[in-house]
Formats: sequence, C-alpha cells, structure tokens
Amino acid sequence: MSTKKKRSPRAESSSWVVIAADDVTKTATDEPTFVKLRNPATGGASLYLFGSCDAALYEVKAFTEDYHSWFIGQTVQRDGRLLYITPMDPLYLLLPYLQGAGAEGKFQPVEQVVKDEEFPGCTRLLSCTRSLASLHHVAEEKEVGSLKFHRFSQEKTLEWLRKKVERTVAALRNSSVCVGGGVKSSTFIRVKQEEQASDEDYLRYAHGLVSEYINEELSKDLLKHLQLPELSSPKQEPPAKKRKLSDHPVEAQDDYTKFNSSDFTRKPPKKMTAAQKSLAKVDKTGMKSLSAFFSPKVKQEKN
Amino acid sequence: MSSNSSVTTVQLGSVSQADELQVHLLPCEIEHDGPAEVSRYFTAAIKDRKHELTVSFRGRGFKGQEVICPQGYTGLVLKQVHKPSSDQEDGVVKVSSVFHNLTYWNLETPPSSDDGVVMAMGWPELAEAIHGPIED
Amino acid sequence: MDLGKFEADNTVSCRLSSPIPDVCKTEDCCLGIDEAGRGPVLGPMVYGICFCPVSKKEDLKDLKVADSKTLTEEQRESLFVKLDEAKSFVGWALQVLSPNTISTSMLQRTKYNLNALSHDAAIGLVQYALDSGVQLKEVFVDTVGPAEKYQEKLSHRFPGVEVTVRPKADSLFPIVSAASICAKVARDHAVKGWKFLEDLGQVNTDYGSGYPNDPKTKSWLLKYLDPVFGYPQFVRFSWSTAQSLLDSNAVAVHWDDDEEDGEKAAACQNNASMLSYFSRNTHTHTHTHTHTQANGHHSSPREPHRFFTERRLHSVSSL
Repeated sequence: MSTKKKRSPRAESSSWVVIAADDVTKTATDEPTFVKLRNPATGGASLYLFGSCDAALYEVKAFTEDYHSWFIGQTVQRDGRLLYITPMDPLYLLLPYLQGAGAEGKFQPVEQVVKDEEFPGCTRLLSCTRSLASLHHVAEEKEVGSLKFHRFSQEKTLEWLRKKVERTVAALRNSSVCVGGGVKSSTFIRVKQEEQASDEDYLRYAHGLVSEYINEELSKDLLKHLQLPELSSPKQEPPAKKRKLSDHPVEAQDDYTKFNSSDFTRKPPKKMTAAQKSLAKVDKTGMKSLSAFFSPKVKQEKN
Repeated sequence: MSSNSSVTTVQLGSVSQADELQVHLLPCEIEHDGPAEVSRYFTAAIKDRKHELTVSFRGRGFKGQEVICPQGYTGLVLKQVHKPSSDQEDGVVKVSSVFHNLTYWNLETPPSSDDGVVMAMGWPELAEAIHGPIED
Repeated sequence: MDLGKFEADNTVSCRLSSPIPDVCKTEDCCLGIDEAGRGPVLGPMVYGICFCPVSKKEDLKDLKVADSKTLTEEQRESLFVKLDEAKSFVGWALQVLSPNTISTSMLQRTKYNLNALSHDAAIGLVQYALDSGVQLKEVFVDTVGPAEKYQEKLSHRFPGVEVTVRPKADSLFPIVSAASICAKVARDHAVKGWKFLEDLGQVNTDYGSGYPNDPKTKSWLLKYLDPVFGYPQFVRFSWSTAQSLLDSNAVAVHWDDDEEDGEKAAACQNNASMLSYFSRNTHTHTHTHTHTQANGHHSSPREPHRFFTERRLHSVSSL
C-alpha cells in the first residue's frame, strides 16, 4: 500500500454549516451579526450572535469531530464542524459586569457598568429585549425620576440561578440525556445508570450545565445554595482555593456616581481586606470594569 | 485586542433564494474546498438497506442515516461574501443554502443513537431550558 | 450464464449456482475449487466450485475441459455450455466478490486481506455444497498462497473430506478446470456487462485485461480518475496501482485510522489546536493575572461540563 500523505494545515474556512433557531432568520427585521463577547465562565472571547436589531442574543457552539468533512450539494467543505446557534439569556453575559461593579456596593446605571474596552460589543447586550426587563433577577433596582439604577445582589442572583437549574432539571427529565454519575460511553452502562439516576444526579447535572455560563465562584455558591455538597474529586476542586467573591467584602451603600444627586451621599468603603488593599495600590488606569469579576477588588473611584 | 470589535454580518436577503441542498457529514477529512461530482459518484451509489444507508468512498465502507434538524431549527450554509483583510475588519456572510435534514456517515460502524451528531442534536432543546426567561 | 442476481446489486458479494444434480446427493462426489480475477485492479473476483460423482470423472474428461487460462474466451463459453448440458451429473456454484467488497474489506479498520477473503469464499462454497446434500469425498483446490497451510485449514474445516491443494490444479484435475471455466466465464460477463452504479453516462469499456501492467488498463484508470471520489466502485481501491494514481492525481483524504506515526502526531497537534476553540485557556487579559497572583491562584481552567464534551460541543471564538 502506498504511503499516506500528511495532513496539510487547514486554511481558514469560507463557508460554514450551521443549525440555527428559526427566529434568527425568520423574525429578523435587521441583519444578524456575529460578535465576540466575553465568555462569562472563562473570561475569554466567545462568539455570539445578535439578531432582530439586537433584540435577541444567540450562542454559537461547534460540534467538532476530528477527520470530518461535508458534502454540501455538489461541493466539498473540508471543515467538518457543525455550528449550533441557540438562544442565549443575555443576563448570563451581563452578570459579570454587574457583579464586578457590585463589589463597590453602589447603585449605578447599567449603561455605566456594562462597558468593556476589550469587548466593545457588550453594550449591545443592553438592547436585548430581555436584558433590562430581567435585571431585577440579579440586581436591586432603584428608580429616580425616569432613571433606573442597579446594584448586584448575590441573593437574588442565586435564587435566579436556582430557578434556572430547576428548569434545566425539568428539561433533562424529559430528555434522553444520561445524568448518572461517571458515565462511560457504553450503551449498556448508560441504560443501567439511567434507571438509577437520582434527584441529586439531575440537580448536579443541571448545576453543571448552568455553571457553563457563570464564573467558578458563583458556581460554587450556587452549589451551596442548592444544598449540594461539593464533590472532592481533584477535577472539581482546583488545587489552590480561590478566595470567595460572593460575600460582600465592602459594605454596600448607595452610590449614584456621576449623577451626584443630593439625595444620595457617597461614603468611602469602611473596610478593605488585605488583598483589596494591595489591589488598590495597583494602577488601574484603563482597567476594564469586568476584570473585577475575576477577583473582587475595589474599583478606584473616579470623581 | 481590538480584533474583538470586528463583527460579521449575515445577509438575510439571501435566505429566500437559498437552495435546499443535500448535506452529508463524512467520516474523513477531504483536503479540498470546492466543487465535486457528489450526485454522480456518491448520491447515486447510496443503498438503502434495512433502515441503514450504505455507500463507499475511496474504497472505504460507510454506514449512515438521516437526522432531521430539531424542531424550530433550520440548517443553513453560510458563505463568505466579504473576507476581512484583517481581523479588525468586519466580515459579511450570506445564507447560500438551507437544509432540514442531513445525512451523517460512520466509517464502517452502523449508525446508532450514541453517535456524536445524534447526541448533539439534543443541544438546542436543552439550551432553551438553560436560557429561557425566568418568570417572576 | 445469468448474472442477474449479481447485477441487481454489484456492490456486495453474491452467490450464483446451478441446480444440484440428484446423483450428487446419493453418490460420493469430487469437487474442484478455482478462482478468476484475482490480479486485476478492476471488476469482481469470482470463486467457483464444480462437483460431480467420483464415478463420472471420465465423463467429465470427455467434455475436454482444460485450464481456463489456456482457452480463448469463445472456447470457455462453449465449454460452459457443455457443462450446463451435463447438468444431470455436474453442478457448480460461484461466489462473486464485488470490487467494492474487495476494496472495503482490504481497507477496513481491521484489515481483511485478500487471502483470507479468498479462503473464506472457498470455504463458504464447499459448505454450501455440503448443506445442499452433495456427498463430498474429495476436494481439489488450486492455490496461489502456501499450499500446506491452506490444505490444513480446509481439512480441519471439513473433516471426512480428502483435500488436495495443489498449484496448477486447474490443469491437473478436470473438476478444477471445470470450476475455473465457470469462474472465468462469470468474471468475464461481469466485467463486460458492468453496470456502473455511478451516474457516469457513456463509459468507455475498453479496460484492457484489467491487470495493472496493461497500458490500456492504466490509461482507462487515468481517464476515469475523479479528483475527489477517485474511481467508480468498479475499481479496487485497495490495489497499489489505484492508490498511487490517487496519491498523485486526487485530493488527499485522511481517516482517523490512518496508520503512520507522523499522522498520529499531527492528529494530536491538530487536537491541541482544536482545543483553542474551547477558548477555555485563552485568557488574554493583562490585568487579571495581577489578581491571580494576589490570590495565589493560578488560573486552572474548568473542564467543560461532560454534556458538552460527550457531544463534542464547544464554544468558538470566531467563525
């Protein structure tokens, strides 16, 4: 038999096979756009799609198996990926910004909070129909005249996430997804385990799915909120324990930065942790508000 | 960093004119992007035996089946209209064809519900649950 | 010879047979096995058996059957007619292995080589004769592989039958010559009347002998080479002639079971680069690591949930 040729590097694709929610193409009055936004779980760039004049948000996931290609009509497409465009709750993407600003404990206009030099597209999230209407799930709201101000609420967020998990559990029960622990690919084992899947299996599985859209700290807090013990597998637990973000390290107070309403006076934070103090010394000029999300910090106040 | 600010617009005007095409997901990587005599060599040779499709490609045996797109979902083939000259420039793609079902092929193994594509088709339904709005 | 059953689906292996003469069910019989079309790069390979009562060996000789290779096509055709006329005491059966069966077997993940394929076809035919009630006592086989091993395999498989595996058996034993005529006639008919499954329009059928060194065969192979699909199923892709023509004239195709260390390594690298799609470890924020250090926490990216890994679904950072 002759020798096999080595795989040549794949050039950038110029066509893509996609399975998209019908709304993307059917109800759109405007042309949808793919944008890169900060992935709430990883902090890295991920691809999303805005549809219907930014009113709806979609997530892009790729189904990828190595050594695959497509025949599309009378053509070959070397890239064998299949992209899924599914609805995405914009609140998951807004949450890190609110949470980051929440560390300051101030009520702020969301327009001021949802800003990201690295991902300028994030402001479009506020145009999503669902965004403003659902902020109250994760933040306390205050209205001053026609203006709305928000402050991240851990409590509300966890409750919102719990509902998300519940919905997901319900969907899992109606699906053929195998939620039993330690699944191997053998059909036999899967069937057997499916019979044994407990309520906790479902809850844990749903928690894992929702955790794909929130940061690790929040995921752990949610686990507690669901009264699920943390699993002590080394994979679940990173070697160095990250400090908790969830507890409000700074006493909350009202802060209507830049609106300087006389009704609300700003007070300096009462107490800082050692880490926050050290962070406060770092020059944060030009720092993106979202970086707060990766670790709590006190944002330098601009006056 | 600023590359994250570039966007890719999907021209929807093309949807209505897009052809419905047959798509096949193959268990091999073909180092080619472009035309191929798919219907003459491939489609014409597909045999339907007991709910299992068979065909061969380059002397390898394929077994496959058809899967339909999940309810409320349509298959689209997007094609580049404008290729950005840098990662900071915006791109434009159009919908060049649509499909409502696809045929996937395994290398030699019979198709089953454990196959990757079949399982992945369950994603949209779950996504709706994870991302659906929460009532007050 | 009616090849209708094979032509109905020439992508698979198919058995054709004559009626079993009654006398073969009551008298001790001899049986010959031979093949046709082992070497050619195109068309089917045909395995044939022919059988008759041991007492009728002389009558068979009188038909003047000889090694099919020493005969012209016309002579083979007329001898096959004679065999058919002798159906009161001569029976035959054929196993037609389609070129597609040969390609896909030889190239399959767990390789099935041509010798094994041939042996299994022969064994299947002998078993068919036994199952049909033929009183088998002697089996004569021509061989291209090592004779002893094959003899051992057949004797073991069919105890109580005297097996003689002999090179050039087709010229030594008339019953093997008869089998070789049946096989060769079937092979010739199959190649001549090949119904292309592919929609190729008018195909030039001047294939030559089908042997790789025949210039006619070679130019046919070049003419009908498609850069993506290679060849119609008429061609045996597992032949090195076909493979090397494809290597130089068709686009490369890669399989997950490609054997070559380099390939595997490349695959690993490719997987690694694919991981970058996951964008799990693509933290590029210059500021976050300040915190990371402050917290003594080195960012160890979370594994995606198994729902996604099992389904090979991951986030992408660009189209």
